[in-house]
This record gives sequence, C-alpha cells and structure tokens, in this order.
Amino acid sequence: MLIRIHDLHRVYEVGSEQVHALNGVDLGVGANEYVAIMGPSGSGKTTLMNLIGCLDTASSGSYRLDDVEIGRMSDDDLARIRNQKIGFVFQTFNLLARADALHNVELPLVYAGIKHEERRKRAREALELVGLADRMKHRPNELSGGQRQRVAIARALVNRPSIILADEPTGNLDSTTGEEIMVAFEHIWRQGNTVIVVTHELDVAAHANRVVRMRDGKIESDTPNPQRRAAGAPA
Amino acid sequence: MNLRESTGIALGAIRANKLRSFLTLLGTIIGVASVIAVVSFVQGMNRFVSEKLLDAGSNVFEIDKFGFITNNDDYINALRRPDLTIDDAEALRLGVRHAAIVVASNGNSERIHYRARHLDGVKVKGESAGYEVINDYTIEQGRHLTEEDDQHRQLVCVLGPEVTEELFPGRDPIGKEVRIGEQTCQVVGVTKAKGKMLGQSQDRFAVIPVRTFQKFKSERGSITIDIKSLDQAALPVAIQEARNLLRGRRHIGPGKPDNFGITTADTWMEFYRTLTGGIFVVLIGVASIALVVGGIVIMNIMLVSVTERTREIGVRKALGARPHDILVQFLVEATTLSLSGGILGILLGVGLSLLVGAISPLPAGVSVPAILLGILMSSLVGIFFGSYPAFRASKLDPIEALRYE
Ligand SMILES: Nc1ncnc2c1ncn2[C@@H]1O[C@H](COP(=O)(O)OP(=O)(O)OP(=O)(O)O)[C@@H](O)[C@H]1O
Ligand SMILES: [Mg+2]
Repeated sequence: MLIRIHDLHRVYEVGSEQVHALNGVDLGVGANEYVAIMGPSGSGKTTLMNLIGCLDTASSGSYRLDDVEIGRMSDDDLARIRNQKIGFVFQTFNLLARADALHNVELPLVYAGIKHEERRKRAREALELVGLADRMKHRPNELSGGQRQRVAIARALVNRPSIILADEPTGNLDSTTGEEIMVAFEHIWRQGNTVIVVTHELDVAAHANRVVRMRDGKIESDTPNPQRRAAGAPA
Repeated sequence: MNLRESTGIALGAIRANKLRSFLTLLGTIIGVASVIAVVSFVQGMNRFVSEKLLDAGSNVFEIDKFGFITNNDDYINALRRPDLTIDDAEALRLGVRHAAIVVASNGNSERIHYRARHLDGVKVKGESAGYEVINDYTIEQGRHLTEEDDQHRQLVCVLGPEVTEELFPGRDPIGKEVRIGEQTCQVVGVTKAKGKMLGQSQDRFAVIPVRTFQKFKSERGSITIDIKSLDQAALPVAIQEARNLLRGRRHIGPGKPDNFGITTADTWMEFYRTLTGGIFVVLIGVASIALVVGGIVIMNIMLVSVTERTREIGVRKALGARPHDILVQFLVEATTLSLSGGILGILLGVGLSLLVGAISPLPAGVSVPAILLGILMSSLVGIFFGSYPAFRASKLDPIEALRYE
C-alpha cells in the first residue's frame, strides 16, 4: 500500500473550543489508484489532503507513506517528501506571478537540486505533456484559467512524484475547461500515477475509479466508482 | 537554494519598482558613498602630505622666529622675539656637528621683468647653498647657485620653468638679465618642472643668493634656517645642538623657554593626523548612521516583501523548499538589495572624489580598499538587517501561507 492511514485525528484549537476537522480517519490507497474525495463543505477534505501531502501533521493516529511513518518527521524531511513524492494541484493554481510557465514548472526541480540544463529539459517535457509546448514563455497572467491549471499540473508532475493531490482543481474553471483538466488527469493516471482529487462535482468524480465520501471528519463511504465511464481501467 | 534565482528575483523587484528601490537604498547609498569619498580623500591627502613633507627627506628640521603656532596670542607674543639672521645661520653651520646641510632662506613676492615682458606674483626666494637639496630642485639648464654667489652677493638667479616660459617663450634664458623688483640679475639656471601642489604652481619662482636678498631689502626681516641632519638617527642630536647653540647666542637662562621655533616633518604630520583623524571620526560616524538607517529601511521593505509574498512562500514550501532554502532566498534578496545600494554608493563616492580632485586643489584618488570596504559594508548591512525578515519567512507555516489572501 502506498498510503496507509489509521485512526487519524486533526484537532484545531479555536479560542477555547476544539474543532475536530478529522475525527478518526482510516484509509488505504494503493499505487495507481484514482480516488475522488467528496463530501459537504467543512467535512475535512482539505484537512485530509494537507495531511496526505505532508503539509500538515496529525494530532494523533498514524499515516504511513511508502511504509514510512510521517508523524515523527522533521520539517526538512517533510519538505523533502513533498518535493520527491507529492505533486500538488490547487484550486487557485498558485503559480508564481512573476515567473513564466517554464520557470514555474522548474521550481520543484530547483529544490530537488537538479542542474539547470536538466531542469529545463524536464520542465519542457512536462509542459509538452499537458499540451502547452507553445506557451512556455508566457506568464500566468498571459494564460487562460485552463492553461494555468495545466501549467500547475505540469509542475506537479515534473519531479515524477508517487502521488498527485488535487484539491478542487476545477473549482475555478468553467465546465468545458474543467473537463479538459480532468482529461489531463486521466491521462496522467493512465501513465501509472496515483491520483487523489477532491471535488464537489459528480462529473469530476466520475473520472475516478473509487469514490470516498466524508462527513464530519470521518469517512462515510468508500466505494468503487459505479459510474466510471472511461472504458477499461488499467490492469 | 539557487543563488542565481534569488539574485534574479531581487534584481527583478528592484527594476519593477525603481523609485521605491531608490528610496529604500538611499541610506545605504549615502553611507557607502561617504565612506568611499572620505577614505579616498584621506588616503589621497596622506599620500600627498607625506610625499610633500618628506620632499627633502624626513631628517630635515626648520628654525624660524615663530615655530608651529596655532593661535593668535602666541603669534602676537612671538612677534616680539628677536629676528633670526644670516649670522645665526653661519653660527649654526659651524656649530651643529650633526648637520649635513644648513640653509638660510627668506622670501617675498615680486614682479619680474624681461624687456617688455613681465610676470607678477613670482615667489622670490633668497637661499644659501644647499637649497636645492632642501627644496628638491633639479637643474634643467645652466647651474645652481653656489656658496661663492652667496658670499659675493652676486646678482644672479635661478628661475622656475613657469617663469622662463612666460618671459622667454622659445628662447634660451641663460645669461639674460631680468629685473626682479628694483634689481637686475643674470639668469644662470632653470629648474625642472615640479607641477602643482594643492592647486598652486611650484614652478613660479626665482631663487637668488640669500645675502643678495638681504642686501636688497630695506628692512631685513627674520630668515628661516633649514637643517638636514647627517641621517635619520642624528636628527634629535642635531636639533639639540642647534637649540643649545641658539640659546647660548641669545643668553637664555636655564628653565626659560626658547625664543625661536623648531619644526620637524613630524610636527606637521602630527598636526595633520589630528586634523584628519577628527574629520575621519565625524564622517565615519555620519556614514554609520546612514548605514544603520539604510539597514532598517531595508529590513522594513523586506518585511513588507515577506508579507506580500506569503503565498509564494507557501507555494515554494509545498513544492519542497526547506525552511533553510527560504531563509537563504530572502537573505540573498536583502543582500542583493543592499549591495545594489552599495554599488550605487561606490559609483557616487568615486564620482564625488574624482570631482573634488578635478575642481579643487585637494587631491583625491580612487582607493581600491575603500571600494572593497564599501562592498563589504553593504553586504553586511543586507545580511544583518535581512536576517530577521528572512527568519520570519522561513518559519511560516505552509498551510497558513497558502491560505493567505
Ligand atoms: N486553520 C484552521 N483553524 C481552525 N479550524 C479549521 C482550520 N482549518 C480548517 N478548520 C476547520 O476544519 C474543518 C474542516 O475544514 P476543511 O477545510 O478540511 O473542509 P473541506 O471539507 O475542505 O471544506 P470545503 O469543501 O469547503 O473546502 C472545518 O470545520 C474548518 O472550519
Ligand atoms: Mg476544502
């Protein structure tokens, strides 16, 4: 199992009150799964994604990624894991405004300590993969929303992580563009990546081969996707 | 992290906000510019002063009526002292055993004529033999004045090259007769050009034998006696011998002060050092204040920058930047910023000292150590005042930072 989560809790202190954003989550995700996480607002989806992505650490419980316990790691180790094993795609893209597409995609490789020429080459390849070969020198404000999100996907892919995490990646896009983005994710998944997508939209979740539903910080249901319409999941 | 990237970000930010950056860097620019200017200037002065003072070697001392006087009361009192005379010089020449040369001199300013041409404000110096050593004159044409010229009160002169150029354009001055004030002298020599010192020509003079000079003058006035000791080690002995001899001639009892003055190159150097030392301390103080203010402004702008770019920091962290990477990035940015100020300051400071050197008689050169000091100081300002903002940036929580609006 790539991800093994057991009885995970995340408690926020707000004033004198405690908010149980995660209240005992158990979840296992294998390599090359395509998981959609759904659930009402405030149910803890983003909190769970942040924990899986090693941006945050749990209050209690266990999270093992590639059989390594994450809870006890230092900030530097967490940074290294985010760099090597995780690729994030955000709802608001989160590209660096002053850098062009190529440079944005290079960023994870900078922190991976990869040499300049190699970085360039791999960033180009990643951009070509998401169909932006002709937009490499464009800055985010010179790109459409869908193009920005594809730059973000290229950035998430460029260091060949084990898991792609996307928190409402189509939330800021119209439905046509959102569909394009989901096609891109599907492509990535078919190449052998593990993809976890948080979404409110059934159309989006329909691309996944497993749907996890959350409510009040717990997993309410976890089912193989009955609506999965893409022909033939990979073996 | 990648140094080039951080430097690029900082330079990009400077370019994007030229006015803001300039105002941010003003303190650093002024601080570094004043350090460069002061150091270059003082170094130039030092070089100049020691060169000039030691023209004739450091083992020369001078005896005159006044000595080293820095206030008016002393001057008024010294006016009542007896004049130094040629006889005093003669006595010293015979009596100071550790002296190599004793030269008597006097001087004033006169008009010099040659036929229809004339030149005003020429320094006319009465000198005894050996003056060429004390004044560091080399002969270009003809000969120097000699002991015989002096003893026989000859009407001869040696001219500075500026004087001969004015009076004898394109002609040989040797053997010609010029009129110095009321007297006519024959030109026997011309010295080599020495150039300018503190903006004044050192080549606009005429030397005549000191006894001739004293004969011309209705009221004789006190002479100056320069003595070069046998060597550096003999200087204190020679000074003591000269002092004792003069005190004896003037019957000054034990415990009474000298009624003449003795100055050495050291006296001047000492005076000069206290003078420039004072300037140095004040200006370095001003520069430090400017640098500290500049540093605080840089710290402030970096704090603003960290806040403005909280989200960027969150993104970088999400992509794998360690706290250390973020720290280095912002330190490099702060240092690039302050170093840009430093470089502008260096350009300004160098420009300033070159300008001063060009339009005023004060010497000023570009000093390489001063430039290095400027670079070092501005880098240190960036590192020191950038470290708090950089530390804050490095400690940001990635989730909070990503959520920042
Ligand atoms: N930093 C925080 N401090 C306090 N409470 C928080 C914090 N972050 C999240 N929470 C709380 O934790 C709970 C889960 O939040 P989370 O963002 O995970 O929900 P979500 O499922 O992603 O919702 P949405 O669909 O609206 O994005 C919410 O009740 C939220 O108020
Ligand atoms: Mg959310």
